[in-house]
Amino acid sequence: MLPAVRQRILIFPKSLFGSIYQANNYATEATFKTQPYKLHMLENGPSTEVTMTRDEGLQYYRQMQVIRRMETVAGNLYKAKAIRGFCHLYSGQEAICTGMEAAITKEDAVITAYRAHGWTYIRGVSVHGVLAELTGRASGCTQGKGGSMHMYTKNFYGGNGIVGAQVPLGAGIAFALKYQKKNNVCLALYGDGAANQGQLFEAFNMSQLWKLPVIYICENNGYGMGTSAERAAASTTYYKRGDYIPGIWVDGMDVLAVREATRFAKDYVLKHGPILMETATYRYSGHSMSDPGTSYRTREEIESVRGKRDPIFNLKEKLLSSGFSTEQDLKNIDSDVRKEVDEAAEKAKSDPELPLEELYNHIIVDPPSDMRVRGCDVTISAPTKG
Amino acid sequence: MAAAYMKVGRGFSILNYLLKPRKVSAVSHLSRNIRKQCGLYGTTKILMPALSPTMTEGTIVKWYKKEGDTVNPGDLLCNIKTDKADVGMDTEEGGILAKILKPDNSADVQIGTLIALLVEEGEDWQKVQVPTEVVSAKSAAQTTVSPQTQTTIVTETHEEAGHAASGIGPSVRKLLEEYGLTAGQVTSSGPHGRILKGDILKVIKQKNLQRKDIKAKLKPTPASPLPPPPPPPPVSATATASAKAPVKTLPPITRPPPSPPIEGEEYKDIPNTNIRRVIAKRLTESKTTIPHSYVTIDYNVGPVTKLRKQLTNENVKVSVNDFIIKAAAIALQRVPKVNSLWNGEAIQMSSTVDISVAVATSQGLITPIVKNAAYLGIDEISLTVKDLATRARDNKLQLHEFQGGSFTISNLGMFGISEFSAVINPPQTAIMAVGSSRLTLDEDGKPQTRMTATLSYDSRVLDEAEASEFLEVFRDFMENPNLTMSGSRMSKLLSAKN
Repeated sequence: MLPAVRQRILIFPKSLFGSIYQANNYATEATFKTQPYKLHMLENGPSTEVTMTRDEGLQYYRQMQVIRRMETVAGNLYKAKAIRGFCHLYSGQEAICTGMEAAITKEDAVITAYRAHGWTYIRGVSVHGVLAELTGRASGCTQGKGGSMHMYTKNFYGGNGIVGAQVPLGAGIAFALKYQKKNNVCLALYGDGAANQGQLFEAFNMSQLWKLPVIYICENNGYGMGTSAERAAASTTYYKRGDYIPGIWVDGMDVLAVREATRFAKDYVLKHGPILMETATYRYSGHSMSDPGTSYRTREEIESVRGKRDPIFNLKEKLLSSGFSTEQDLKNIDSDVRKEVDEAAEKAKSDPELPLEELYNHIIVDPPSDMRVRGCDVTISAPTKG
Repeated sequence: MAAAYMKVGRGFSILNYLLKPRKVSAVSHLSRNIRKQCGLYGTTKILMPALSPTMTEGTIVKWYKKEGDTVNPGDLLCNIKTDKADVGMDTEEGGILAKILKPDNSADVQIGTLIALLVEEGEDWQKVQVPTEVVSAKSAAQTTVSPQTQTTIVTETHEEAGHAASGIGPSVRKLLEEYGLTAGQVTSSGPHGRILKGDILKVIKQKNLQRKDIKAKLKPTPASPLPPPPPPPPVSATATASAKAPVKTLPPITRPPPSPPIEGEEYKDIPNTNIRRVIAKRLTESKTTIPHSYVTIDYNVGPVTKLRKQLTNENVKVSVNDFIIKAAAIALQRVPKVNSLWNGEAIQMSSTVDISVAVATSQGLITPIVKNAAYLGIDEISLTVKDLATRARDNKLQLHEFQGGSFTISNLGMFGISEFSAVINPPQTAIMAVGSSRLTLDEDGKPQTRMTATLSYDSRVLDEAEASEFLEVFRDFMENPNLTMSGSRMSKLLSAKN
């Protein structure tokens, strides 16, 4: 009895004081400092002081965990032969798509290369849509016809298999946006391997000439398939490769820095023309599922990045240190995410596949009703729908 | 402390702390919030992964983590040996490795089998429950493997009847027409009950059907030996035993899937490795399909030994074997018919002379290739062979370094074997077996060292005259080794000396 009372008295002043203190900070923001940005042909860059509210922090955390878990599950499904063909995983690079999506709207366009599962999710496709597309079911976001490298949704142009082909397309999308007098931008992403492709520079030229609202983003994860960036490129300062196009280097493992830089870039681009961002990031898995990822880099390197620079872990520390969340809450989010993704995976494994008649559809837009398409030889012919 | 307040909520914090008596110590409130994660995720099953698209089973060589070890995402769990390579398996999940179900050196683990269990940190890993149902019940699309892989014989049950009829490819249709079969007579083994070309070829072989247009003739397996052979017939169990099958029926040479062959049971303590099986398969194939013929020649190795000593004085270390390789290479250039491959339809003359050199390793005999041997100098051949042999013994050869080649040389001289005959490596045409040197007397009664070489050749390609011609040229070059060195650096060395 007595000890309890005493304890209560002891606690009381602290609680009163504490709650008043907390009452002020509950809904406000926390400020963090990012790594400094490197600029090319820019006087001012994005601010290194970034702010984050609790809701935003938890939202980004959850999104990144979903992507991480989804990619893990995709890898496991591939190893169990439920997914075949190509599968390029985004584990380690989640901060880029999460941070950028937070800085743009659903009306802005995004186009990227084949490491696109994370982007597909962040642009609005459900986890089930992505996984079912990977397993080739009719409930996938492209009705199972696309697979890993051809996932699309509104204002998300995929999902492109040819290295570097999406960059001129991105310039074209920006051209359309400007032509239609929309106040939107196009994000055209590519990797450090694609940065040496010729058509990128053609796109840079045209977009600068016509002041197109395109943000070129080089997701530099240090390796183009198995070749390290130093062995592939004479100049590894990819943000300067635009030459007459201004450039920013961003730490791609810090979701808030990425968001801040993208906000700055969108603002700039709508006034002045294209800009080039290089996001320094890292991928934990190999280039694709047929690459173990350890023959051109050491396990120690991968482990050290996982330990020190992991984007989810960094955000978690920020959330904990600012008091926006607790270990337990985050663990709850983790288990929630896991449940969601695992359920989606189960559905993706058991959903029905496409019927064979679908082979002949989506070839011609609005075909006449009596049209038939021919198969690989004259004995195969079937009706088609648009 | 701050976190504790978050739980309670802003407005109520003060009141609740006043009104509710709490038996809490003054130590951090945070510890209350981090409770044990008992069964939050349950146990994670680790299944045998397919590390390459054609893999169906593998061997778990070594576990790098013990039961009870903490595992972080990205850690290496174990080493898995597939038909192609040894690959490490990572884990993406973190936790504690609770139970290893397939310990070190578990062979023939099928894809999808449960091999280990992972539990979350904080859980009692010793009390993990091993699920009794360890079967990977996957849809037909996964369990049916394309006939390219040598797996258990699958006659596919016709599920998903909607897909059955329409998926016949053009080559399949052509074969159906040519051999007068209907789709119903052929058991299909493709996905969704589709008939594949291999299925038809199987039926053709079984029933010894004849093509309508061409003269009736028993054809051997039309596929060339290098690409994967068609699936074996269901009666394969009887076909394996005797090495000499009667020529009339000529069953397909491919053995049944890698279950331990009958030989394996006799050697209880030597399980068959992948290499052993492959060797067994190929040798049987060779001896039963290729009509071997043999020609033997012996020659004086005195000049070669003398030249070798000369070169050693010049600090060029070569062995007699290198001279043999070089002489054979030049002889192959002179008699190009021996430097050919038999692919069932035609004799394919090779443009380069690639000589496979038989190297004995702990795992079995392997034949790394000395490419373009005719244009290499003896010293280069020597270095190449040494390098290949070392790497072969360390199991570090790449696929292209031992697959291919147009001629093989097998040298048992170091074991004191005076003469022997070797088995041809299909699809090559010939193999030369070289023995050890022996001391005899020549016509003048002077001591002379001689060596014997036996050429086993494919009678379908060569006749006795051509084989003899080859050996004659070989002997000429062995007995006049200076001719083998024309054009190389060493000839300059020698001519400078002389």
